[in-house]
Amino acid sequence: MRTVRSRPVIGTGVNRVDGPRKVTGTAPYPMDFDVPGQVYAALVQSTIAAGRILRIDTEAAEASPGVVTVLTHTNAPRLKRAPVSKLGASPPPPLQDDRILHYGQHIAVVVAETPEQATAAARLVSAEYEPTEPLLDLMDPRAPQVDDPWGTDHSRGDAAAALTTAEVMVEATYTTADNTNNPLGPFATLASWDGGHLTVHDTTQWPFLVRGTLAAVFGVPESSVRVLAPYVGGGFGAGLRVWPHVILTVAAARLLQRPVKLVLTRPQMFTSVGHRPKTVQRISVGATRTGDLVGIDHRSVSPVAMEDEDYEPVASGTASAYACENVFTQDRQARLNIPDPTSMRAPAQAQGNFALESALDELAYKLGVDPLDLRLRNYAEIHPVHSLPWSSKALRECYEVGAQRFGWYARNPVPGSMRDGNWLVGYGVAGVSYPWFAMDCYAQVTVHRDGSALVRSAATDIGTGTYTVMTQLSAECLGLHLGQVRFDLGDSDMPVAPQAGGSGLTAALGNAVFDACHQLLRRFAELASGDRESPLYGVAPEAVEATQGHVHPIGRPRLGETYTDILGRHELPELAANGHSRPRSQDELGMAPAGAFGAKFVEVRVDAELGLVRVARAVSVIDGGRILNEKTARSQIIGGTVGGIGMALLEDTVTDVPSGRIANGTFGDYLIPVNADVPDMDVVFVGDPDRGSPVGTKGVGEVGIVGVAAAVANAVHHATGKRIRSLPITLDALL
Amino acid sequence: MRALEYVRATDAAQAVEIVAGDPTAAFLAGGTTQLDLMKDGVLNPTRLVDITRLPLRAIESHEDVLHVGALVTMEELAAHPTVADRIPFVRDALLSGASVQLRNMATIGGNLLQRTRCRYFRDPDVSQCNKRAPGSGCAAVHGSPRMHAILGASARCIAVHASDLAVALVALDAVVHVQGLAGPRQVPLTEFYLEAADSPEVENVLQHGELITSLSVPLLPAGARSGYLKVRDRSSYEFALTSAAVSLLIFGNAIKEARIGLGGVGSVPWRAWEAERALVGASASVENFQWAAAQAVQGAWTVPGTAFKVELARRTLVRELQALAGVAP
Repeated sequence: MRTVRSRPVIGTGVNRVDGPRKVTGTAPYPMDFDVPGQVYAALVQSTIAAGRILRIDTEAAEASPGVVTVLTHTNAPRLKRAPVSKLGASPPPPLQDDRILHYGQHIAVVVAETPEQATAAARLVSAEYEPTEPLLDLMDPRAPQVDDPWGTDHSRGDAAAALTTAEVMVEATYTTADNTNNPLGPFATLASWDGGHLTVHDTTQWPFLVRGTLAAVFGVPESSVRVLAPYVGGGFGAGLRVWPHVILTVAAARLLQRPVKLVLTRPQMFTSVGHRPKTVQRISVGATRTGDLVGIDHRSVSPVAMEDEDYEPVASGTASAYACENVFTQDRQARLNIPDPTSMRAPAQAQGNFALESALDELAYKLGVDPLDLRLRNYAEIHPVHSLPWSSKALRECYEVGAQRFGWYARNPVPGSMRDGNWLVGYGVAGVSYPWFAMDCYAQVTVHRDGSALVRSAATDIGTGTYTVMTQLSAECLGLHLGQVRFDLGDSDMPVAPQAGGSGLTAALGNAVFDACHQLLRRFAELASGDRESPLYGVAPEAVEATQGHVHPIGRPRLGETYTDILGRHELPELAANGHSRPRSQDELGMAPAGAFGAKFVEVRVDAELGLVRVARAVSVIDGGRILNEKTARSQIIGGTVGGIGMALLEDTVTDVPSGRIANGTFGDYLIPVNADVPDMDVVFVGDPDRGSPVGTKGVGEVGIVGVAAAVANAVHHATGKRIRSLPITLDALL
Repeated sequence: MRALEYVRATDAAQAVEIVAGDPTAAFLAGGTTQLDLMKDGVLNPTRLVDITRLPLRAIESHEDVLHVGALVTMEELAAHPTVADRIPFVRDALLSGASVQLRNMATIGGNLLQRTRCRYFRDPDVSQCNKRAPGSGCAAVHGSPRMHAILGASARCIAVHASDLAVALVALDAVVHVQGLAGPRQVPLTEFYLEAADSPEVENVLQHGELITSLSVPLLPAGARSGYLKVRDRSSYEFALTSAAVSLLIFGNAIKEARIGLGGVGSVPWRAWEAERALVGASASVENFQWAAAQAVQGAWTVPGTAFKVELARRTLVRELQALAGVAP
């Protein structure tokens, strides 16, 4: 397999190529687009969680100044449910009947000439309901259960038998809270119909999903739909689906034959674009007295919306985390009258890891061994499920480098033994084995007569650095400098790309870009090889590479010529090639494809009397395969760690009972970490390029958040002797 | 769309006259509460009288009192040298509130009149709120009350007064200067607020149209030590779960004067009179501090979600008393 060789551009922490546009405010996010003649939509949402709409009064709203139309279930067009994607079913289409399935469900959309008029008129819509008792409690026996929703439940050996005979055992229940994605940019959609053609600016992590969904729902060919998302103000998974408000905006635009723009408010973001579901996890871990794991049983229950799906296999990660012969994992979902749960950064893994890595810490204390040593003792040298070597795994190095940088072994292991004034000091560690996820991807590269290149793919950059790393990779493969390459994305008219999600985009897109560049270089080489005037005449095309703008025999840069020379002699304005990447299965590879690995070391300070918990230090050591850009990769890990601090200590989307209303749906009430909560963070990358793909990168978008909550909880235990098994860890639990 | 008249007041008397004569009019200063609540549909004035051009921005320092114009911003007051020198816990309280951006807009008069952060009050879709709709009930009592009051609260309302500044100012016996149609009057801040347990819908003694023009803030005696301790889940940009504004004057080991305000726990900025009485004349010791703190939270009214605040408020006060007195635990 041809692979990328390390050269100066790859791996270098170059600044974001879109940085100047972002800091000068000229990068257009979906809500920044306007088209002539557009009108504005505002949503009306239900104020009960279950029941029916008996009557909905839109008269006052319709009579309100500037109002163009009001859509409710009584007059909205009938819409087909969108097709199932690789991430599961689409949410049910909006305004199709009088049923209410959750508080904050869209029950009307008001369209007016200005956003203020639409907002004011939306307040005038009133609904009369016939409420029924909503199901809001995850443990409510009346909640319909979905067993093994994704076929991920795992059983090997005999966990039950192993646990009954285990010499030492930990058995405990852990719970995590509902969290809300809360990207900074409010989700926005601007839809314009031109005859049968639809153009949509949308906050999405997956333009192709939006295109396919809208084409199916509105019965038009996919080629008549164009979805644009050149910049997205964050997503954390909320942009992986086509939400009802998007459908409503497009429906209103078609009905009115005018462009319609909708921007969600912050409170609406809490009920309209998904959230991380809470979990209740029961876990049993058994070991020999010397610390060899003999059995793990991990069962999770999490909520799902009444008529939706959410891929959230919470316990599944435990199957491949440790070398243990007897493992049982089980996932179950309970249907509740809640807004749709959906992927949020490291869906399922962030919650499941909290239970597993907390339980490991409990076991270490019960055994009287160092928590780090226990993890190393049960290190999975080969993939525990597939019994194949990993395509890459440097988790051991993560632990070792992390322990050294953090000063792990300087800790006194006795809980409550370390103190600094009023503050109890605690150290905690957690390991992370992130799953592998990959999809097909396409890219196109063109080199112009002046030697500059344009590379395109319908991917998105949700703040992760896709523009930058793909510009670097293209420049490297084509032998150009960064300024000669433009990378375009975020347009469904470009080659097909998968979602920015599952930590899979960088690998999929990188390998497609690599393939495209390779194909193009080959085309140039073939042209030159048959050209008597070329210094490359007769050189085998596969023996050619490009550096510093020159196409030349491998290792002999002086014998080549430029792209411009070749194109000029052949009177070609440009030359283009397409590239494709596809995931390679374990059978093809003879290896288990690996995701990222990581180790998290955290120091917390707990105020002995006031219960305050503050994170004082965090060391993250990550095996992400080849790192294309140390700076943007590091930012991903920092951001993930900040999210992890939020999950561990602050974030909790509270639902009122019995109304089903989100009690804290604002940035003032839903707490995310601020700078003062975030300590200096040490981020290090270790490991080698992954052997499963040509570029060798493994995604690092999600691994950074996983393990933080467990490391914090373990550190809180070390500081105080109190084992907190419920997130977030707030001071009242420590008083 | 709701039409709104905007009037820029040129003098205080005119501003008072307009608002007093129109039940649907409201004053507009920094707007950090007023505009938020209008956008949320909680407040619906039809006329806003902008008072920001009135000459109420002076800070005058006298021997034992500071006069603060109502339109002085939080940042301006925090930066005043007399505040830092003579009433440092006022500065601490100011700088622990909101964010720099908000403190640059928010005025001292507005800070005193800020409305509760209760999410049930701030969401008009919640039908039960005795503050918004008297007699409708209180959804917070059965809801998520972590940020709510335990003192001056009842089943009728548990909304907290969220100001940090006001906690220090009640402890200092600050006096509010008010101008109304009948002329000026003065109200001690300790008598300015009305507890939610009694009147959720009426939060203070102001008549509609009365305008806060300034504040007199007594300065602490020489030798007094003061501090403001704010306990919150998030390290910054967050309201208090509990807070304590404390000033102590200690001679030898005897406490000559104690001023204590509690925040995050009261439906009004809470003056802990009983705790002060317990301390004056007593020696500065952990036992006495604990006894005083227990007095401070006497009569707390809690629901399951607020019960922890009784103990937390007690510990918060003890911690600040210890810190000021230099008494080790």
